[in-house]
Amino acid sequence: MPFTKKLQKFNATVRSVEVGTGDKAVTLGGGNTLPFYSFDAPTTNTAKIGIEISDMGLAHEPDCIKEVYAGCETVADMAKKAITMEGVDFLCLRLEGGDPNGENRPVEELVAVAKEVAEAVDFPLVVEGCKNVEKDAELLSKVAEALQGKNVLLMSAKEENYKNIGAAAGLAYNQLVGAESAVDINLAKQLNVLLKQLGVDSGKVVMNVGSSAAGYGFDYLISTLDRVKAAALGQNDDSLLMPIITPVASETWSVKESVATEEDAPGWGCVVERAIDMEVETAVACLACGSDAVILKHPTSVATVSKLISALS
Amino acid sequence: MDKFITIGERLSTTAPTVNKAFLERDAEPILKRAKAQLDAGAVYLDVNIGPAEGYGEDLMKWAVTLLQENFDNVPLALDTSNKAAIEAGISVYNRSKGKPIVNSADAAGRIEFVDLAAANDAIVIALCNGEGIAADNDERMAYCTQLLERGLGLGMAEEDMWFDPLFVVIKGMQDKQMDVLNFIGDLTDMGLKTTGGLSNNSNGMPKHIRPIMDSAMVAMAMMKGFTSAIVNPNDLRLMETIKSCDIIRNATLYADSYLEV
Repeated sequence: MPFTKKLQKFNATVRSVEVGTGDKAVTLGGGNTLPFYSFDAPTTNTAKIGIEISDMGLAHEPDCIKEVYAGCETVADMAKKAITMEGVDFLCLRLEGGDPNGENRPVEELVAVAKEVAEAVDFPLVVEGCKNVEKDAELLSKVAEALQGKNVLLMSAKEENYKNIGAAAGLAYNQLVGAESAVDINLAKQLNVLLKQLGVDSGKVVMNVGSSAAGYGFDYLISTLDRVKAAALGQNDDSLLMPIITPVASETWSVKESVATEEDAPGWGCVVERAIDMEVETAVACLACGSDAVILKHPTSVATVSKLISALS
Repeated sequence: MDKFITIGERLSTTAPTVNKAFLERDAEPILKRAKAQLDAGAVYLDVNIGPAEGYGEDLMKWAVTLLQENFDNVPLALDTSNKAAIEAGISVYNRSKGKPIVNSADAAGRIEFVDLAAANDAIVIALCNGEGIAADNDERMAYCTQLLERGLGLGMAEEDMWFDPLFVVIKGMQDKQMDVLNFIGDLTDMGLKTTGGLSNNSNGMPKHIRPIMDSAMVAMAMMKGFTSAIVNPNDLRLMETIKSCDIIRNATLYADSYLEV
């Protein structure tokens, strides 16, 4: 009997969300197959990779990242260098210094950094907050205002602060809104519904359904990604047809596999290789389960994942 | 499991305002009723123009164009005994949101509506019914088989034949209700799609009772695998019941605001 290829066709397509402006703008989402299932339908838009820098410059970075940015004096310098790396589609500025339990940098200072970076590079920009919901409500709203016209993705609006961030980014200043839930598929959908009810255009929402490093509760994240994608496409669920972005670097670079020195863990091999491996493996697993974009830090990781995406798409 | 498909029943010549608007080609009342149904969550809209002898073709074309132009090519069920009118409607129908539904065929005088659907790549609602209401499920199944064989013989896909068990009125046929539900279960086991005019069951009951009875009936039918129904989408209790059953059937993902989307 001849082999008849049976295609898995969905009547749904993930929305395409454009980040940035002009020639450099990058599109997230747009898929209508399971990840990398290019045999079911041609890939219309490949997964994208962001490179992450921090408002803290190189203060908290490991030596291997310091080497990458050697000679950079400001965050803007780092931004200029970051976007030249092979395989980079967008830049992610993480305003971690705003954390009230950490450096607690004032909002004005962080907004100034964001402006400096946005002015230094003509490249799609994602701005991440400090993960404190109260601080981010103010911080990301102010960033949205300061970067008007740049079509920036602000991450993230959560259940606790979506009204502030959604209203500022999505309504007042016409930016893009990241909707963040922590491995809770029902909340992921709910947040999208709430943002829509607030008046935010669903075509300007990108989901972050959670993040973790491989081996650290990662199975929950993977199953969430899987189920969100399956429900979005399989059930043609309009409230879930948003592209998914997953911050990877901020998770993988702090786990012991990435930080334990070779003296402390002599059997584990080179610490830089380990850290890059953790970043690459985590990113690839996320992409294979449904992320439309990942955020990484090391140029070797970016180049490696970029090659994989091209080869499989 | 696919999401339950609601077919809004409120564009029907049985409603005097609709009948008048159809006859006078008065768009406003039609659009108003269509919008109310779509806002309430109807997927398809049924367009029942009655027999419309002599003017059905023109009227169906007008109605299809009017509704699809105003509501983003909303998918429609073309409901009339006038075959020429259905074909005329399909000739101007835009399929981007779903195939047209031919409403309806049966195993007696209206069996040729299966042929009509097959010839026009449409979905057909196939009443498991001959002359008069089937006495029992064996008879219903015989009609179903007859309709199914005819459709398949003409090259139709099984999924384009939606079988209607024919809901019967509780006041008068209370002892037959479980037969109807069990028959839906039998059709589901055969992998077939189902639909039906749900509110038949509550005919003659007081107005405040009907939404309650219709909701109970749809929930029990959905438990048996029921895939679609012709309903009044502006019955809030009914629509909330359908959405809740779709959550329980895992056909839509739960979110706290599920009733609002």
